[in-house]
Amino acid sequence: MKTNFDLVIIGAGPAGMSAAIHASKFDMKTLVLDDQFAVGGQVYRHILQNNNNRTDLPFLDEDYWSGHNLAHEFSCSSAQLRPESRVWQITKNKEVFFTQKGKAHCVQAKAILIATGAMERPMPVKGWTLPGVMSVGAAQILLKTAQSGTDGAVFAGSGPLFYLAIQQYLRAGFEIKAVIDTSPKKIPLMGYILTIPALLQPNLLFKGARWRAEIRKKPFYFSEVKSVRINGKDFAESLCFTDVEGRKQTISTSHIFIHQGVIPNINLTMATELEHRWCGRQLCWKPKVDMFGESSIDGIFIAGDSLGVFGAEAAVFSGKIAIQRIAANAKRSAAIKTLVLCLYRWRQLAIRPFLDYLFKPPEDWLLPDDDTTVICRCESLSKADISNAIELGVSGPNQLKSFCRAGMGRCQGRLCGLTIQKMIANHHGQSEDKVGYFRLRPPIRPLTVLELATLSNDDPV
Amino acid sequence: MMIPSNRNKVIVIGGGIHGCATAYFLAKRGQTVTVVEKDHIARHASGVNAGGVRTLGRDLAEIPLSLASMDLWKKLHSEIGVYAQAFHPSFYLKVAIDEEGYALGSARAEALKHAGYNHEFWLDASDVQDRLPKLTTPTYGGFLVEGDGWARPWLIVRGFAQGARQYGAEIIEKCNVFGLELRQNCWYLKTDKGVFEADYVVNCAGAWAADLAFQSGEPKAPLSAYAPMLAVTESKPPILPAVIGVLGHTLSLKQLDTGQFVIGGGVRASANLSENSGEVVLPELRESMQLAARLFSDISNAQIIRCWSGIEGYMPDNLPIIGHGKQPGLIHGFGFSAHGFQLGPAVGEVLADLVMGQQPRVPLDAFRPDRF
Repeated sequence: MKTNFDLVIIGAGPAGMSAAIHASKFDMKTLVLDDQFAVGGQVYRHILQNNNNRTDLPFLDEDYWSGHNLAHEFSCSSAQLRPESRVWQITKNKEVFFTQKGKAHCVQAKAILIATGAMERPMPVKGWTLPGVMSVGAAQILLKTAQSGTDGAVFAGSGPLFYLAIQQYLRAGFEIKAVIDTSPKKIPLMGYILTIPALLQPNLLFKGARWRAEIRKKPFYFSEVKSVRINGKDFAESLCFTDVEGRKQTISTSHIFIHQGVIPNINLTMATELEHRWCGRQLCWKPKVDMFGESSIDGIFIAGDSLGVFGAEAAVFSGKIAIQRIAANAKRSAAIKTLVLCLYRWRQLAIRPFLDYLFKPPEDWLLPDDDTTVICRCESLSKADISNAIELGVSGPNQLKSFCRAGMGRCQGRLCGLTIQKMIANHHGQSEDKVGYFRLRPPIRPLTVLELATLSNDDPV
Repeated sequence: MMIPSNRNKVIVIGGGIHGCATAYFLAKRGQTVTVVEKDHIARHASGVNAGGVRTLGRDLAEIPLSLASMDLWKKLHSEIGVYAQAFHPSFYLKVAIDEEGYALGSARAEALKHAGYNHEFWLDASDVQDRLPKLTTPTYGGFLVEGDGWARPWLIVRGFAQGARQYGAEIIEKCNVFGLELRQNCWYLKTDKGVFEADYVVNCAGAWAADLAFQSGEPKAPLSAYAPMLAVTESKPPILPAVIGVLGHTLSLKQLDTGQFVIGGGVRASANLSENSGEVVLPELRESMQLAARLFSDISNAQIIRCWSGIEGYMPDNLPIIGHGKQPGLIHGFGFSAHGFQLGPAVGEVLADLVMGQQPRVPLDAFRPDRF
């Protein structure tokens, strides 16, 4: 017999943890599965470990430490956590398959909450595949988990996480060689209009403005930068760009951290064949859900940034809201609290239109103008390779696979899907939602032949 | 009176391997051919199958057709040019790993001998081990066919489509046929892209073919649709020079030129014909994985990077339907039950023969549409 759970939560970030805490108040038998060896997700990564030496970590601020209460409350809850568990398939019957330490397992859930968060948007600028280039998120994780960083790095891109990571890098005492900001130098009128709803989240708005102002004062700061290219033969050697006055500049460096915002991580939700919609404002696919986060399959819920990028605080509420609904379906709860939570969550979304507008990725970060830039890293296909295949008469990303193997490698389209979708849309003059995305299939996380071969349906979990 | 928007002599419904090969041979012989395909060329079973090109292990009734097809595969370059490079001939070994398998093998050897076929050759255990030095489980021997192999299916189908075009055939994609009707010796096809007229219609619509035939007035063929599943791993050093099957078990295993292993064997998931979707339930491939890991322990640690399925039509006796329909001018070629890819070239040729009133070079009695 498979082990049964009232609820299986995938992801122990803010949404997953708050949902688990809430679920234990309703006495739900809950299993929480997470990739990492400890809770926290990306935003509160390493929170329980770091909490023991707070004083040594001055670069982490109150927003980060606020995650400790959540993590602590979670560890006191009745939810069972299985860390280092990679979920590779969810079936429509709500079986959850995962691998932990080389062994595959299966559990049966009554309800499933997917809280797998967001990932950084692919950013195929010229040279992005050179050793020495990594994402700002990855640099931040090194800092959070190992206090590891480097002097002389260049940060290029934009977005809230971009400024946060730069702040943290500076506070950690690392010397930054340059910040190459692609967002506009002056906030346009539309931006000011969008700050009006954002005033519902004054803390975030003012904190962001303060960070930005601080960073902009630094001599190494360049704003409204265009045409970013990374040069180097075997590894990154320099970065060149056009500054706001139209001058070409080159900065030599061997460490470049790039970022253009985050998007929902849809590999699990798409491989589960949930319905999705294209969000033109955040330029990403989002699962279709009702106001409680229930997807197109009854009993499969989604919470947190895998619904759309709204941040940790909204994620906490969306986790709770989903549990309210799951409990209500199981006749264990009251409706009024759900509405109050929805209102709280709604307030947490207020700043997003402003941020999405201000940090909209520049066109040449979504689709490079240079033909030699690698788009599909797994199959080493350049923009020209993919353009040539599209010109043979390809109507969508799935057909493209059989023309040039784009998207057929290990990353399953995570690093090329949106770029390829945009290329096909541009070629046919169609909208991106018409073109559609790769058909994603399990296993969405690595799984060896032996792990699948030794999967047992009746091991106790 | 309806004014026909198009006039064609032969319309082939379905842009899979059988449809495209039929169109190719018809066009090559000077016929006016149009292929109508509801999605795109090689979208379903023809394009996403495991790519096995085998004469080995065929139903006795299917052997002449399969051997005739192999003749075409061997000279494929002269038909579809550079696309023929997608065919990788090597050898096919179907081994026995238990007594049941050995018994099946013995019975088959007897039946083949009785029927006068000698293309499958029984190897004893030590010869199997010599052929497969990396094999990690003892065998009871196995059947060998030299010259069988694997192909990248979508490229072969595209090769036939391209060849057909070069001989003047028209291939219309995204063109679903929703009405098929015979009136005064003329076939009318109602499609997304208008009404087509034809003297002959060749029904190569795969899993969708039986419904299409039925609504045109043919008897209902007992065709069921499933989505056989496959998985592919990351690249590993080459260890497997052949395509491998196991007598009495569901496994088909090969290593591509990229070093990736393709593991399948016909485990079926459900298919939804109206939504064009096949399910993928990876855990159901568990037994195939167990066998693959047991046969070659080097495969154990390979990571599975993708799993997929294609929608296929199955007949109760696992033999296809190839032949004239009840109504004049309608010819069927479908129901290949997950082993039609290798047959593709020969099926294209015999369907072209049937359209042109010529005697096919192999007997088709076992595939009669009215056998049920």
